[in-house]
Amino acid sequence: MSLNVGRVRAVRVRPAAALALAGAVAALAGCGGTSSDAPTEPLTDTPAKLERGVRGGAATLLSAADVDSLDPAIADYNVGMMVLQATQRTLYSFLPNDATTLVPDLAKGAPKISDDGRTVTVKIKSGVRFAPPVDREVTSRDVKYALERGFTKQVPSGYAAAYFGSIAGTPAKPNSGDLRDVSGIRTPDDRTLVLELTRPNAGLVSQALVKGITAPVPPEYARRFDRQNPSTYAQHVIATGPYMVEQDASGRVTGWSPGRELRLVRNPNWDPATDFRPAYLDRIEIAGGNTDSGVAARRALSGEGSICCDAGSPPIELLRSALQSTPDQVTLFPQRTANWVALNTTVRPLDNLNVRRALMAGVNRSALRLPRGGPLLGELATGYLPPGLQGYEEAGGAHQGANLDFNADPEGDAEVARRYMLAAKRDGLPIDEQGRYVGDDEILAVAANSEPDDKTAEAFQAEARKLGFDVTLRLVPREVVYTNFCSTPAKRVAVCFVAFGSDTPDPYSMLVLPFDGRSIRREGNLNISQLDDPGVNAAIDRAAALSVEEGRIDAWADVDEAILAQAPAIPYVWSKRALVASKDVQLVANRYSTMPDLSFTSIRK
Amino acid sequence: MAAYVLRRLLWTVVLLAVVSFVTFVVFVQMPSADPALLRAGRNPTPEVVAAIREQFGLDQPWYVQYLKYLQQLVLHHDLGYSYQSNVSVGSEIVARLPVTLSLALGAVVIWLAVGIPIGIVSAVRRGRVSDRLLMVGALVGISAPAYWLGLVALYLLSKDIGVLPLFEGSGAYPTGGESLFTDPARVAPALVLPCLVLAASFAAIYARFVRASLSEVLAEDYIRTARAKGLRERTVVLKHGMRSTAVPVVTLLGLDLGILLGGAILVEIVFNVPGMGRLSYEAIQRADIPMIQGAVLLGGLVIILLNLVVDVVQALLDPRVRSAAT
Repeated sequence: MSLNVGRVRAVRVRPAAALALAGAVAALAGCGGTSSDAPTEPLTDTPAKLERGVRGGAATLLSAADVDSLDPAIADYNVGMMVLQATQRTLYSFLPNDATTLVPDLAKGAPKISDDGRTVTVKIKSGVRFAPPVDREVTSRDVKYALERGFTKQVPSGYAAAYFGSIAGTPAKPNSGDLRDVSGIRTPDDRTLVLELTRPNAGLVSQALVKGITAPVPPEYARRFDRQNPSTYAQHVIATGPYMVEQDASGRVTGWSPGRELRLVRNPNWDPATDFRPAYLDRIEIAGGNTDSGVAARRALSGEGSICCDAGSPPIELLRSALQSTPDQVTLFPQRTANWVALNTTVRPLDNLNVRRALMAGVNRSALRLPRGGPLLGELATGYLPPGLQGYEEAGGAHQGANLDFNADPEGDAEVARRYMLAAKRDGLPIDEQGRYVGDDEILAVAANSEPDDKTAEAFQAEARKLGFDVTLRLVPREVVYTNFCSTPAKRVAVCFVAFGSDTPDPYSMLVLPFDGRSIRREGNLNISQLDDPGVNAAIDRAAALSVEEGRIDAWADVDEAILAQAPAIPYVWSKRALVASKDVQLVANRYSTMPDLSFTSIRK
Repeated sequence: MAAYVLRRLLWTVVLLAVVSFVTFVVFVQMPSADPALLRAGRNPTPEVVAAIREQFGLDQPWYVQYLKYLQQLVLHHDLGYSYQSNVSVGSEIVARLPVTLSLALGAVVIWLAVGIPIGIVSAVRRGRVSDRLLMVGALVGISAPAYWLGLVALYLLSKDIGVLPLFEGSGAYPTGGESLFTDPARVAPALVLPCLVLAASFAAIYARFVRASLSEVLAEDYIRTARAKGLRERTVVLKHGMRSTAVPVVTLLGLDLGILLGGAILVEIVFNVPGMGRLSYEAIQRADIPMIQGAVLLGGLVIILLNLVVDVVQALLDPRVRSAAT
């Protein structure tokens, strides 16, 4: 059973576009040395067939990272999301092989959206029960409490205000006070949840009902933990999904040793009749600290009941060899992520449009893609809308912005680049007759000091040098690339290497945060190019105001082209993700979380 | 002697206060990243970041944060809670320390068992072919970085991924944080490779150290006298020679053990051993200041206490040291 929440109206919410802060999504690990004859998979997002598994057995995920939290309102990174999908019933969810169509999970049927787009009504299934020690049926009041607590200072949900801030009665200053009743969340009866909005953005709010914050939380049990600051509910979390983190009789989590291990066991109160998940495995272990993806991948490939990896794909040579020898142990799928080189439009000489266009024309994007696994792990990107996202085909598919001469050849066109450099010379920039930059402006590029980002940065440095630009590389720990440099405009970083993914199938999240001039912030800024172009902003407003029936998707494709015309970033790869598993594991990848789907993965008998 | 030990213990408190202050200043005033932003998840609103700053007390002046930390530590023996996982730093350290202790003790046994005999043989056969061969081997051991050696060992020998399987469980540490003290049957095989790698460079250092020290001692007059008395060469070397050599070896061992108990970071990372080293590494990566503080304080405490133990042992071994101490 599936539903398509296609009704999208004028919106001003800020969906949680997933800027892959390098550590997680960005790290498509690939170690140099690739060749163009590598076996490649077509980069389409055709849903894979879900094979039936066998019930029983145990599996271990060899993981580099830990869950960001076990609190459903906070967990938002890939490992946390994977555990959330196995342990909690959010209102809506995704089938593992299709990240574009919402499926009712705790909800019963599609959300009902009022004609004015200001009310969303969700019916809730009966028969869904909380795990011990709560042991009672879930009601709509549990979802109301779950949403309300996400706005408190004790539960600083990173996205509550962004997605659900338009609900009437939510605090004007979210996450700064204690729990209070939100008048716009009504529960006329145990099975009905009504969300009343202050703006007509029910379309996007409906899509956001897939987020962890909509997983029910039993107030009579959780309140005592939520009174502490920060809330300690994560250490006493109650499951509603097929699995639960191992815990004692009081509900205290005993199966989680941060950074080391997380053990999932079956939830005795889970009723398969209420769920689309088959939940084949009896026991799941997430073994942390596997930071060397090569070692972890080898261990998974040669071991038993093991899966790898959570952050980035295994090294490219290992993958290539595994694809040749044991292809059924490798799962490759599009990641709905675009990687681009962000050019700061406020820093000299990149503040000149012709210079940016020259760079876009001159840079051989294949060279930038090589460290990230070459063609095996991604298609050369020509725009900002990756495969699997609405608007990809409308924007031109693999040939987005093809009518822009500086974007026509992703392998680089030296003559077009020279032409734009000479145009920049006419703008008064120090450029010689050969079209090479001869100014002394320092172009500061910041990247992570680990593969593949460092190699990508070096490749860009070499490509930019062809046009005379002297790029100074500053390689810093992955954790601080954004927080300390690229997302802080005051640092005046000229070039950053960005991986951007989308939480929703709608292109809004992919294009607005990184390119809408009104989204620029002093801190935590995601418009890293700092593009503030009136034409682009107006095109965004036009697209956001349309429903799908009114041509919303085409309008987003136009936005993509309008942004490309300003050349604020050089898109170079639409990434694929690779997971590997032991021979006895029938691995099912979830295309939404880009992680193994623990509820669909099974052990082959 | 008791007064000496008491005096040293008082100094320990002062030193730990200095260590905690310096660590606090380094990580709070010069953070690698904003802990609130790291904790806030993807694309947080400024309100969420502000709420987290308030939760952690990061919105307060640094000296207030430090005084509160000291107050908690001194009055409640509480090292605080992790910014990332919200678990107690104290309980996390208690869980990790036995793992590192297992690793360190295993490595110490190996490097003493290998390094000291090599050093003795080299000193006794100084200048001969066997001495040169052993010292070249030691040079190789010192030169091979633990990180590289660990990866090579994993690829060659680990049970799961190696081409030369060692035996069941080697290279794959149990994820539950078991130690030699709680589950020796599961942990001992997993510790073989990391202990060997960790011991390799130390064994080489000890071999060279023992060789140099024993060579000097064997040239002393009292050794000549012992030989002149007709004592067996084995007795001369092991009883009279090694007694003098043991004093600097014990000093070195105390310092090395202290450093190891603070966390053998590289080896713990390569072999995925959930000990203090990996804890510190992950805490620094995530700007988890309470966890960093706890790990550094523990490392400092262990080094200071082991220094004290070494001094006491030295005093027991060497009457000259004893009289100077008292």
